Amino acid sequence: MTALLVADGVRVFARERIVEPASLSLHPGRPFTILGETGSGKSLLAQAIMGTLPKGLRAEGSVTIAGQRLSLAVGQGHRSLWGRVISVLPQEPWLALDPTMRAREQVAEGYGFVRGLSVADAARRAQVDLANLGLADASGKLPSQLSGGMAQRVAFAAARAGGARIVIADEPTKGLDVARRDDVIALLLREVAEGGGLLTITHDLALARRMGGDLAVMLDGVIIEQGPAEEVLGDPQHAYTRRLIEADPAHWPDGQPRKAAGAPMLVAEGVGKSRGGQRLFSGLNLAVHPGEIIGVTGPSGCGKSTFGDILLRLLPPDEGNVRRAGGQPAIKFQKLYQDPPSAFPHRITLRRAILDLVKLHGLDAARIEPLMARLRLAPALLDRLPAEVSGGELQRFALLRVLLLDPVFLFADEPTSRLDLITQQEMIELLVELARERTCAVLIVSHDAELIRKVSDREIRFTGKKDLDQVEPKAA
Amino acid sequence: MTRVLGYRLFQALLVALTVGVLTFIMIRALPGDMAYRIAAGRYGYDMVNTDAANAVRTELGLDQGGTTALGQWFSDLVRFDLGVSVVSGEAVIDEVRHQLGHTVELALAAVLLSLLIGPPLGILAGLRPGGVIDRGLLLVSSTLRALPHFVVGLLLIIVLATGMGVLPAAGHGEPQNLILPALTLALGLAAVSSRVARDAMAGVAGSPYYAFGRTKGLSDAQVLRRHGLRNVSVPIVTYLGVQFIYLIEGVVVVETLFAWPGIGHALVHAIFARDVPVIQGTALVMGLMFVLLNALVDLACYLIDPRRQAA
Repeated sequence: MTALLVADGVRVFARERIVEPASLSLHPGRPFTILGETGSGKSLLAQAIMGTLPKGLRAEGSVTIAGQRLSLAVGQGHRSLWGRVISVLPQEPWLALDPTMRAREQVAEGYGFVRGLSVADAARRAQVDLANLGLADASGKLPSQLSGGMAQRVAFAAARAGGARIVIADEPTKGLDVARRDDVIALLLREVAEGGGLLTITHDLALARRMGGDLAVMLDGVIIEQGPAEEVLGDPQHAYTRRLIEADPAHWPDGQPRKAAGAPMLVAEGVGKSRGGQRLFSGLNLAVHPGEIIGVTGPSGCGKSTFGDILLRLLPPDEGNVRRAGGQPAIKFQKLYQDPPSAFPHRITLRRAILDLVKLHGLDAARIEPLMARLRLAPALLDRLPAEVSGGELQRFALLRVLLLDPVFLFADEPTSRLDLITQQEMIELLVELARERTCAVLIVSHDAELIRKVSDREIRFTGKKDLDQVEPKAA
Repeated sequence: MTRVLGYRLFQALLVALTVGVLTFIMIRALPGDMAYRIAAGRYGYDMVNTDAANAVRTELGLDQGGTTALGQWFSDLVRFDLGVSVVSGEAVIDEVRHQLGHTVELALAAVLLSLLIGPPLGILAGLRPGGVIDRGLLLVSSTLRALPHFVVGLLLIIVLATGMGVLPAAGHGEPQNLILPALTLALGLAAVSSRVARDAMAGVAGSPYYAFGRTKGLSDAQVLRRHGLRNVSVPIVTYLGVQFIYLIEGVVVVETLFAWPGIGHALVHAIFARDVPVIQGTALVMGLMFVLLNALVDLACYLIDPRRQAA
């Protein structure tokens, strides 16, 4: 079997070497996946192979694409292959589509400019491609009128229109829920089944498992393990790979669900809400007892977050009511946000952000230090800006900020969806441990059903569009 | 789109109301006896005495209350009558129409010239942020924007007219008379529009869709044409609407400097002579032009940007 693409000793340099020599070969009909955390260098490796490294970085080594050997140190020759032989399915397809151009035109470009078809032929071919992906109606739409999943399919059609049979997919499932993730995987695997080449970059272990084929695991710029995906994941040799697999919620130890005790301190009765003319849910009842952990799952857009915000009384319900029982003030009902960087002011240090909170509510500043130690946050981090700490650290600061207020109820809205697996496990463990310690009830929302199953005392499931009215409280 | 144009119409009414009242109050608030100033405007400063001033006062009824005069102006306005110049006795509408033609000619030339200079340079700079063109342009545009119009105009006169003698320093009537005043205004406009274009282009060139266009297989020129220009032109055109303020302010100075018989020039003279109807009429027409031009900007953005058509 001849390889479609061979990378030989590819390395990337900033001031020093940041990606160690990496070699891999991509065969037709066999997916290749590079798995690694944020900052592991997996995207840089892919960019070096593709010839799209950002300014200030340079690569060495060589890449052979469709029989053509390119020296990366010279850094030329990629351009003529782009679109024709190799192309990229970009991260965040919504941003990768021209916001002022209609979907069909963005696909037709590949046929018109790269393959040299006439305008009419290019438009016809683009329409056929879109129809094949179930997007016949979307061809006249602008990216802002497409859903995330549709935008991804348009981007996929656009990436391939120039004739490229090798696709580099950069985090293709980032930010997608399970149902849409499965769609993307099916789309990519279909391409592979037709004999195309696919190099996927991901931090998502489940995606790597589903893709099959060959797998390389990257850590700190080094490929630490490489081989058939089944072997690597089934019998990991490297300690890090084992740790990564253990951090998958499916492998977490089962939690010990507790029975709800005491009188409920937060009661929702017959709560309903519509958004944009569409009924999200109605008639929801929920009683939250002190210290219990309630998990919420469901597809994106079903109103999980809205429900949490209604419980916090950040949003008014259209019908029904929410009562805080037991005379607790509003400040004891807190929220942990999904995206830590947008939950902190960008231009002031963490120390100031937290001291401002202490001052505003007349808290005891002496509590900060022991709590930071508990959250495994080094004191030196306080003098940094939010952008200068890692996503996991920042989310722990967000937890610190909330815990200083001694909440009795915490709504954690997808608190780890932007974090890597191992960081996610650490974060969730800390959250559960501290909530148990302080008898703080937690409503945790996640798209990851396994995670919810492992941590919660009971579950609420929003079950897709048709049964939006249904909520199933379920004893764990 | 109808909603936007309706809003602009409403804005035009507000402008008429505000401009009428404000200019009236401001002129009344100026120190000095209006009657003397008007008499000076009519007969020349040497010929003014108390009798002439009193004659003017009686003739124009300057002793009557301000509210009555303002009310008169508005009731005339409803009938599209801007009144009569108290100095020349000509209908204001005729004076304005005559001078406005010259001003529009100058302003149009300036805007076109600025569009030829500013955005193309800005786009070149934005394609390579931090490059030689970018840094050079930053220096030149900051300098030009920091210099007042009359300094830029004078420098152009010194270099091109008196120094090299290729263009006339001032005057009106020949096509080459238009070049220096238009260039003076255009340089000021281009100084800013080049920065807007530069920032917009740098943003677009750094965007994921621009990178995607390249990896799709398009050449640099194709990506620029297909995904660059339209996205860049929306902020540039939008900014034009803001620049018209600068243009109107510049017209007053530049027309005076180059002895261009336009509306700005006329306005300055009318203020000296306290010719209230002319001041009100001129300010009103300028204000309405501003609204009209912004409506055109809205329309242009609507045509360029399909997102607005879809909304």
